[in-house]
Amino acid sequence: MTDTAYFLRLALLLVLQVLLLNFFPFSQYLVLSFLPAAILCVPARHGGVFALAVAFVAGFLTDFFADGMLGLTVCALLPVAYARTWILRLIFGADFFDREEDLSLRRNGFWPVLLAVFLATLLFFLIYVQADGAGTRPLWFNLLRTLLSTLVSTFLSLFTVNLFSPERQ
Amino acid sequence: MPRSKETGTLIFTAAVFIVMEVAALALLSHSATLQNIWLNRFSHRIMALNWQTGENVRGHFKLREQNEQLAAENFALREELRRYQELDRLEEEEAHLAAAKGRFTYIPATIVKMSRNSLHNYIILDKGSDDGVYPHSGIISEQGVVGVVQAVGRRYSYGLTLMNSFLSVSARVGRDGLVAPLVWDGVSTRRGFLKGVPPHMEIPEGETVYTSGFSFVFPPDIPIAVTQGVSKEDGATNSVAVELLQDFSSLRYVTIVQNPSRAEITALEKEREEAQ
Repeated sequence: MTDTAYFLRLALLLVLQVLLLNFFPFSQYLVLSFLPAAILCVPARHGGVFALAVAFVAGFLTDFFADGMLGLTVCALLPVAYARTWILRLIFGADFFDREEDLSLRRNGFWPVLLAVFLATLLFFLIYVQADGAGTRPLWFNLLRTLLSTLVSTFLSLFTVNLFSPERQ
Repeated sequence: MPRSKETGTLIFTAAVFIVMEVAALALLSHSATLQNIWLNRFSHRIMALNWQTGENVRGHFKLREQNEQLAAENFALREELRRYQELDRLEEEEAHLAAAKGRFTYIPATIVKMSRNSLHNYIILDKGSDDGVYPHSGIISEQGVVGVVQAVGRRYSYGLTLMNSFLSVSARVGRDGLVAPLVWDGVSTRRGFLKGVPPHMEIPEGETVYTSGFSFVFPPDIPIAVTQGVSKEDGATNSVAVELLQDFSSLRYVTIVQNPSRAEITALEKEREEAQ
């Protein structure tokens, strides 16, 4: 996937994310985010620093346009960008980056991609929910919110992966 | 990718991540009061943990220093204790010496001449009346009893050794056993006899024979000989063969032992004899 194609899709996803956060507050137990999957889908030819930069900008723009706290999405998304290399290497093998493959449901398989997206989303929500609560909410609430948000967002993120899939170009 | 380059990339990525995460947290901290408090509390916890770890590390090294200090102090105290023990021992020895000095004085002397081949062997010492020696003083060495001063010149003394058939020394078997006169056998350089031992007394072999202290010549408990066999002396008494501890062939330096109370004791004895 070219960088332009990636950024176009990312912009579309950001708009969708902002709309979701601003106009569709489903429940206090549920937050939807496709950004962790979008970060996983950063083209494999780019290194960690590029992913970090994308995560920072994407998170910042989301926080800025959404009715939320500035920095919340950024600080939850940056660890995902940093862990991206480890997660992809862990699930798809050490040569994933050597082959410069982009994440694809068809090529990489449904379950491995699901697992990768789940790990990235879980990491994101572990930080996001904790930082959002700022120590004021009980543990069970945070756990429930993290779990629900992770599960729902993971399944929705599969569409995100499909959107970024190289086969769609 | 070369390993060093890969490591460098990893470090660089980690550094970028840390910088961006700090920036994100700073953004979050400035945008919401609750998050600001939460992050402050979190950072305080991290700082406290850091300080605690630092303190633990410092404490660990300080502990080592304190251990060394305690070990040095312990060593100094042990040294002091040893000094006090030594002092105690010296005081005790001095007390014994003072007690002994009350009865006996000691003069070191060198043998000028000594005979070993006759029945009445004698010894000449390089200390005389000028050195405070007087007749009937004992002659001892580190091995035991040597003899008794018989006559005194100004600078020399003449004494009889244990290898003299005229000399008899009051001896005791063991520390608190039988007391009997010890005499030379007249033949061997290392053999003598305890004479007049009652037949009912059992004298074990290998028992050390000491001076009895019943005379004014020798202080008590100076080793003289070791017991050997018992033999019949006459019908009424036995004699115990002894091996003398003193090796007369290698003797060079001796100590003259004198009893300052000798004159008083002799005078007392004389007075009682005249009264009877």
